Amino acid sequence: MTTELTELLITDPDADQPQTNCPEAGDRATGPRRDVRGFTAAQRFDLIGGGAAAMALATLLFGWFAPLSGALGWVVVAFAAFLGLYVLLVSMEADLQEVKDRLATVLFASAGVLLFGSLVFIVVYTLTRGAEALVNLNFFTQTMEFSGPLDPLTNGGIGHAIVGTLIQISIALAIAVPLGIGTAVFLNEVGGRFARFVRTVSDAMTALPSIVAGLFVYAALIQGLTHERSGLAAGIAITVMMLPIIIRSADVVLRLVPANLREASYGLGSSRWRTVWHVVLPTARSGLVTSVILGTARGIGETSPVLLTSGITAAMNTNPFGGPMISLPLQVFDFVRSPEPNMVARGFGAAAVLLVLVLTLFLIARALGGRAPGDLSPRQRRATLAASRRDEQRFAKRAATVPTLEGSPHAA
Amino acid sequence: MTNSTILANPVQTPEVAPATIAVRPRRILSRESFGDLTFRRAAFGAGIITVAIMLAVGLFLSLRAANALGTVGWAFLAIQEWSPETNTFGVAAILFGTVTIALIALVVSVPLSIGTALLLAEVVQGRLRALLVSLVDLMAAVPSIVFGLWGVYYLQGAIIPAAKWISIWFGWLPFFAVTDAEGRPFTEASAFTSSAFIAGIVVGLMVVPTQTSIMREAFARAPIGEREGAFALGATRWGMITSVVLPFGKGGMIGGTMLGLGRALGETIAVYMIISPIFTINWQVLKTGTNSVSALIALRYGEASEFGLSALMAAGLVLFALTLVINFTASTIVAKSRSGAESDD
Amino acid sequence: MRPKTIIRAAVMASLTLVLAAPMASTAARAETYFPITGTGSTWSQNALDQWRSNVAKNYAMTINYTGAGSTSGRRDFIDGTVDYAISEIPFQAKPEDGSAPEKPNRGYAYMPIVAGGTSFMYNLKINGKRVTNLRLSGDTITKIFTGAISNWNDAAIKADNPALAMPDKRIVPVIRSDGSGTSAQFTLWMSKQYPSLWKKGMTSQFPSFGNSKAQKGSDGVAGYVSQSYGEGAITYVEYSYAKKAGFPVAKVLNKSGYYVEPTASSVAVAMMKAEINDDKSSANYLTQILDGVYNSADKRAYPLSSYSYMIVPTEVAGIFTTNKGNTLGAFARYVLCEGQQQADTLGYSPLPMNLVLAGSEQIKKIPGAGNKGVDTTSCNNPTFKAGDSPSKNQLALTAPYPAACDKKGTSQCSTGTGGANQDTPVTGGGTGGDATNSGGTADTGTTTGTGGSTDTGTGTGTVTDENGNVLSASGTSAGGAVASAFTLPDPGMGTSQWLMVAAALLLVASVVVPPLVSQRLKAGESNGN
Repeated sequence: MTTELTELLITDPDADQPQTNCPEAGDRATGPRRDVRGFTAAQRFDLIGGGAAAMALATLLFGWFAPLSGALGWVVVAFAAFLGLYVLLVSMEADLQEVKDRLATVLFASAGVLLFGSLVFIVVYTLTRGAEALVNLNFFTQTMEFSGPLDPLTNGGIGHAIVGTLIQISIALAIAVPLGIGTAVFLNEVGGRFARFVRTVSDAMTALPSIVAGLFVYAALIQGLTHERSGLAAGIAITVMMLPIIIRSADVVLRLVPANLREASYGLGSSRWRTVWHVVLPTARSGLVTSVILGTARGIGETSPVLLTSGITAAMNTNPFGGPMISLPLQVFDFVRSPEPNMVARGFGAAAVLLVLVLTLFLIARALGGRAPGDLSPRQRRATLAASRRDEQRFAKRAATVPTLEGSPHAA
Repeated sequence: MTNSTILANPVQTPEVAPATIAVRPRRILSRESFGDLTFRRAAFGAGIITVAIMLAVGLFLSLRAANALGTVGWAFLAIQEWSPETNTFGVAAILFGTVTIALIALVVSVPLSIGTALLLAEVVQGRLRALLVSLVDLMAAVPSIVFGLWGVYYLQGAIIPAAKWISIWFGWLPFFAVTDAEGRPFTEASAFTSSAFIAGIVVGLMVVPTQTSIMREAFARAPIGEREGAFALGATRWGMITSVVLPFGKGGMIGGTMLGLGRALGETIAVYMIISPIFTINWQVLKTGTNSVSALIALRYGEASEFGLSALMAAGLVLFALTLVINFTASTIVAKSRSGAESDD
Repeated sequence: MRPKTIIRAAVMASLTLVLAAPMASTAARAETYFPITGTGSTWSQNALDQWRSNVAKNYAMTINYTGAGSTSGRRDFIDGTVDYAISEIPFQAKPEDGSAPEKPNRGYAYMPIVAGGTSFMYNLKINGKRVTNLRLSGDTITKIFTGAISNWNDAAIKADNPALAMPDKRIVPVIRSDGSGTSAQFTLWMSKQYPSLWKKGMTSQFPSFGNSKAQKGSDGVAGYVSQSYGEGAITYVEYSYAKKAGFPVAKVLNKSGYYVEPTASSVAVAMMKAEINDDKSSANYLTQILDGVYNSADKRAYPLSSYSYMIVPTEVAGIFTTNKGNTLGAFARYVLCEGQQQADTLGYSPLPMNLVLAGSEQIKKIPGAGNKGVDTTSCNNPTFKAGDSPSKNQLALTAPYPAACDKKGTSQCSTGTGGANQDTPVTGGGTGGDATNSGGTADTGTTTGTGGSTDTGTGTGTVTDENGNVLSASGTSAGGAVASAFTLPDPGMGTSQWLMVAAALLLVASVVVPPLVSQRLKAGESNGN
């Protein structure tokens, strides 16, 4: 989580790093400039030719020559053949070092293609299989209360799970945001030995498996106090899971607030409280919002804490204090337990909704974040500039009406 | 910093003081205003509540777990059975399964993430890089149940031929063999379902984005001077990577791998959906049947008696301890590698 | 927007959500019925789901039910986290596996809700055609679920199915991974009927063994069996799951020598022999003693029949209030009468009159249920008409007798069972032997080419049989070759395989060698010049 956040906050690290200056070439003749990144036409041909040859070879092997079958096997054989042929092609006009370099580049690209390919495939697979359920509007508005497993997809929906998710995450946010940001402020602005202890404990807690957080709430709260699975219990389980994440990332964000801003504020005589409220928090705002949203995305998507605590219901329950209240991930889990194809389709539909929800949250975080503290968007910069101008005019006006400094409130 | 050192040594200007006037350092009296006091107390309060919640979780788990641990003692780590009702329960097989799944996940994720991280840090440029970097971060937020669904409904059916192929051609390696009790090899498709292998692949894909983003960050921190130096000496890009980027990014690679391992160990729902739980150690990773601590908790919490719940908490505690050690090691390594890279800059 | 405004807006929004929630629910609660929640058996879940959705539609009752397994249900009832629980077996005062007794702190009563047969759902194909008429004796079933019989062509299974050519295929017994009433009923039956084969007594946690596969919940085991990779699998599950999944169930041999399917009527006939604990002071009042059912001499009886219970609280405690009692009472009355109408279509068997009357007494004990039982004159239960005597069961009276081909012997009916209606063509007993022989050779791995090709020659589907879902149909000859490559445990290859490998190597060589040679030649030329 920390790194994702720093990724968002720090813009491309080597963009503003120092570049070596080239000395003047003088009148000595220099060789051709070596291109270490790009592709020449011949290199492109190696790639395309190797690929085409590999595919043809694999098809021949599979269709006619060897005892092989299966799509997966074809891909593996084709890839191996491509690597071999590519090396062969490259080696015809380059030395060993370059062969190694080109092979490594191809391998990196393959890793990237495989990774992005499979991740995109997972997302697209979920969305396509869910599309069957998603095209029905009732899927978003109705509940499963009046629908059995055999009912068609035009009957019943996940309205109750969407509402349940929103209520549970609101509870979790209502507890975790003030507490998490408060603790992060404590770690950074107050400090001391106790703060170091708090930091260690919260770091340790990021290692708490989410199911164990759920188990804790189940054993302590449900079995010990309320004797009932409820939305509140689920919200608290999500809080226990989310709190260390929010503290940790908010801590990182606050640490990035430049010390000179704080010193300037203290220098102007403002109190610690005013410094935090008017300087530190606004400066770190986008980072804090990002950290909260990322924590929210994680909390919404996690199934295991709610599995133990929220209970399963097919009906709308808007009361977090009584009765089971299902949420989206748990609803997905419950749907796909059924062997009925319609229920499975509903499960994929609910998963697609969850996915879209999480990805939207992430994109919002991305839009808000991605800026270091004090790094303003053009609009913000214009606003700040306008504010400064207004201040300037105000000062000028004041200077005109009150000629001496005796009347200033600071003297009192 | 400078401020405080000056204030701390106010006697640095003794020569100004004539003997007649006793110059004492100015006492800095900053009485906290009401607002500051409230703020400090509120922040302190937030810290205390946080610590209280977390310690409550830790203590509660430990106390309840102690009940179960006291009954079986150290055998808890050795027994291959889960029957708290009859006082024979232990995590040997469960922990074995958890670790197997996590290790398979690493085998899948580490090459992928190193390759992709190098691709993002060294090969692609400009807009495409920015896009891919945010895509990696985006993928880290995909809920685990989505991976679980994909694993159960797509991968399980699609991977069986591959698993079978591995078991036939590499069955001479004991952990790739798929045999029954008498050692006869299985060929039925059903022997290859719900295995640690499938769960490992799914968890592996789940942790790849996290690992990639940590590694990419570490690789991108390799100092520009050394990079250009390597190029200037005639190195190819691969030569530059092996001589500059990889040594500098070593800490990030290890740290990223271990953070991924920590997450893989704790993963619940995807594993729970895929595996067929067993309580004996199964060395054959391609064969159906494995277990994991978090899946065990999800499976058994509902029907557990009070003592059974204690036993589950003991299992959870062991997992927590394992993750804790791994996470702390990882963050130490990452922190060390970062400071090292900066000082060489 | 200024930062404060945003934060304030966010706080307000979340507060509104939290505060608005209870208000909205009070509005919903203006109805007569309070929502109630229960957990438990997945054996009865299909019935509960149907009833739940019916009463929601017709009476605006909200009944929450989670099929988490009977053991979970009883545990939740003891912990007081649910209003009712469903279980196949009563609270275990002296569990046979030596675990601690289950004892709820609050008053409770058992109310029978539905009868049904624990069936053996399987997924088996012979030469690519699904078998739908498998027959098994109790002895064979016990051996399958203890690992003593591990292949479908075992002599005992062949003896049960004289007209089927049983394939050489490993049996995959699918068992429950969670604590389950179905496991308890099944193990109880085995321990009573085959004590020499099953020595573990009645247990809710089915012990895993050899080739067994553990899945959670009835839908989990049924789902596994119905997958393409579930071929060769067999599981124990309530009849309705097989019906729903469109899969066949095994006909089980009863005491009078007939193989019987667990239909509503055969279960009803068997349950006539169930002894119900009539001792009102007993803790297990109204629970069943099934020895008579297992040994019923009626030709139509299905031996593995049993009831499922709703455990209802008889006093207000914890989260259970009289308001909820009102809902629970109304729901229970619906279940005993109107609900039984659907039992048959769902794959259960409706409750007979004596149990409805006894159950009605239990409803009166629920606080808040208005001391109102069911009215037998207007009950609309298919097992009795107004004015019937409690000992009669309309369903059992009209139950059909099994066909002659279902009798143990050399013939076998071809009709489908469970959710699979299609017939299975049957042949004389001789074919069984043939199929086993060819399978046997494939297993030893010596003459694979022939073994594989005899199997695959019969139809395209068979290729998939031997290899699960490995193959796409790519021509029979290629299929045959692949079959041997995949089924062979050790890569001992025949002449044709070696020839293929040689051809492949030649192909690769023909691609790779020319450029290498030309390069070498060019290098030689330039050196020579």
